[in-house]
Amino acid sequence: MSSVIETRDVSKHYGEGDTLVKALDRVSLGIAPGEFTAIVGPSGSGKSTLLQLMGGLDNPTHGQVHLANKDITQMSGRELSDFRRDHIGFIFQAYNLIPVLTAAENCEYIMLLQGVPEAERRERVYAMLERVGLAGREGRFPHQLSGGQQQRVAVARAMVSRPDIILADEPTANLDSQTGSDLLDMMHDLNRNEGMTFVFSTHDPMIMERASRLIRLKDGCIDSESEREA
Amino acid sequence: MGITGRLALRNLARNRRRTLLTAMIISLSLTALMFTDALIQGMTDTMVRSATRLYSGDAQIHHRDFLARQDESRVIDDPEAVLEQLAREPEVAGFAARTLAFGMVSSAANNRAVQVVGIDPEAEAGVSKIAGAMIAGDYLSEAGPVTQLLIGDRLAELLEADLGDRIVVSVNNQLSEAAEQQLFRVSGIFHLNARAMDENLAFIRLPEAQSMMGLDGAVHEIAFNLTSASLATDTSLGLWQRLSNDRWVAQGWTELMPQLATMLQLTNSSTIIAGIVLFILAGLGVINGLFMSIYERTYEFGVLLAIGTRRRQLFKLIMTEGLILALGAIVIGLILGVLLITWSASVGIDYGSMEVSGVALAEIIRPQHRFMQYSALPFWVLVMTLVACIYPAIHAARIVPAKALHKSL
Repeated sequence: MSSVIETRDVSKHYGEGDTLVKALDRVSLGIAPGEFTAIVGPSGSGKSTLLQLMGGLDNPTHGQVHLANKDITQMSGRELSDFRRDHIGFIFQAYNLIPVLTAAENCEYIMLLQGVPEAERRERVYAMLERVGLAGREGRFPHQLSGGQQQRVAVARAMVSRPDIILADEPTANLDSQTGSDLLDMMHDLNRNEGMTFVFSTHDPMIMERASRLIRLKDGCIDSESEREA
Repeated sequence: MGITGRLALRNLARNRRRTLLTAMIISLSLTALMFTDALIQGMTDTMVRSATRLYSGDAQIHHRDFLARQDESRVIDDPEAVLEQLAREPEVAGFAARTLAFGMVSSAANNRAVQVVGIDPEAEAGVSKIAGAMIAGDYLSEAGPVTQLLIGDRLAELLEADLGDRIVVSVNNQLSEAAEQQLFRVSGIFHLNARAMDENLAFIRLPEAQSMMGLDGAVHEIAFNLTSASLATDTSLGLWQRLSNDRWVAQGWTELMPQLATMLQLTNSSTIIAGIVLFILAGLGVINGLFMSIYERTYEFGVLLAIGTRRRQLFKLIMTEGLILALGAIVIGLILGVLLITWSASVGIDYGSMEVSGVALAEIIRPQHRFMQYSALPFWVLVMTLVACIYPAIHAARIVPAKALHKSL
């Protein structure tokens, strides 16, 4: 099966000479459509760097990142912005909703950038918020929502623009275990029912339990990989 | 309203105190600029009026060589024709012929060199403020005795003379080329509130002056006021040509008092420099306010860039915030400016008869409204604010999402 995203011999180095740090060293991996993958490893193993490179938020020192059969490391800043907007959904650890926009407006924002017509935007936003269990809370601002609800809005925001893949960085780190478990169940449902591809960077055993594939990083290299029926 | 406008407006509302403080920097700068301009206008107007309407008039006509040589033989020998022409000019509000002589006034106690001015009392009252500046005795009168003499209060003090005291006035007779002396009595003492005039001018009636100087109906100077003092600076007016010929010339106050015109130009230059300094300070305030706001939202900008916002759109967002901030602040600044100028114009500012470049600010200064205060100044404040926004906007647009999100991803 072809990969949604593929890294080829990707390295990321910081500093030089004696201070050279190899955050990531010649990592090659592919993420197939519909995967529910967790990248795990100790702090400093390169999880965050790998996710940044996969998401086009940073350029590798060496190697290529292919998404939708395009090498995103060769794209201009503007092309990369548009590519992220249209192909990648991000979920961040600290929710990171735009505080001055309501739940619905946060979800609508990317579609506005995509130029989706207003009627369609509205329909998709309301449907997605209902899907993540936030019907009736569309007009609330982030500070009027609980942490779990904010992260649900973040999931809805990442999903609503219909990206090829969702990159989630420690999405449950700031949530209590019950809320985190509910959120993961919701994302797992979206994965199974709608085929959405998820890649997590995490320490959370609850994510590892649900993941169909585990990639363990150690000192910037892939230490081990395992697949299982989630 | 588009998403950029909504985001900008709500971002400004997030930290109201900071937005208000930044807006106040812009507002108060505009108010200060408006008030400075209004004050300079009022002061200039007062200075020009003090310099011209007090005694000299908005404009004067002399023999072409009189002022350069101070030669009392250079006269307007046919004043009636000039006065008739002046009466026909629609822009002329009043005119008066004068003789001017450097002479000596002597009292029983002292003597002093002064300018002895022969005036037509009735016509003079339409040009200068001497009639209204009497503090003792009476203004000159056609019906009174020929020995009437007006002197300033400072001259009276120097001569130790009082009303009714005898003063001998000596001038040169142009016909006999000999000194001509005549006895006068102090009939009035004036106070023009300008030391040079109160100390160095003595007024007698025109016919007596012409007789003493042997001028045979000629005059040295015809002073006139215009319907608006500002017309005196308008060199395109036809009256300057009509009132001048190959023998005499009509000149406005800017030519007659070049030192005052230069001083007013310097005042304008100083105002421009003060304005530029104010602009720079306000600009730095705006840059500071926006940078604080941007640093606070670096993480948020990282998210916006990560999810696909183009750098240009982020630049536009910051510029829109600056535009909304500027427009709101300008409205506040305009209101404050109107109120301040209107209030200060109604109560006036008293400089306590201070003299500037030899001109006494005899009147209370009243700041003046001007169209440019409500058009050009707000426009330049808007431009200044937007220019000040460019640097923070570029900074925001150059945020590297990976670095901004470092804490998370």
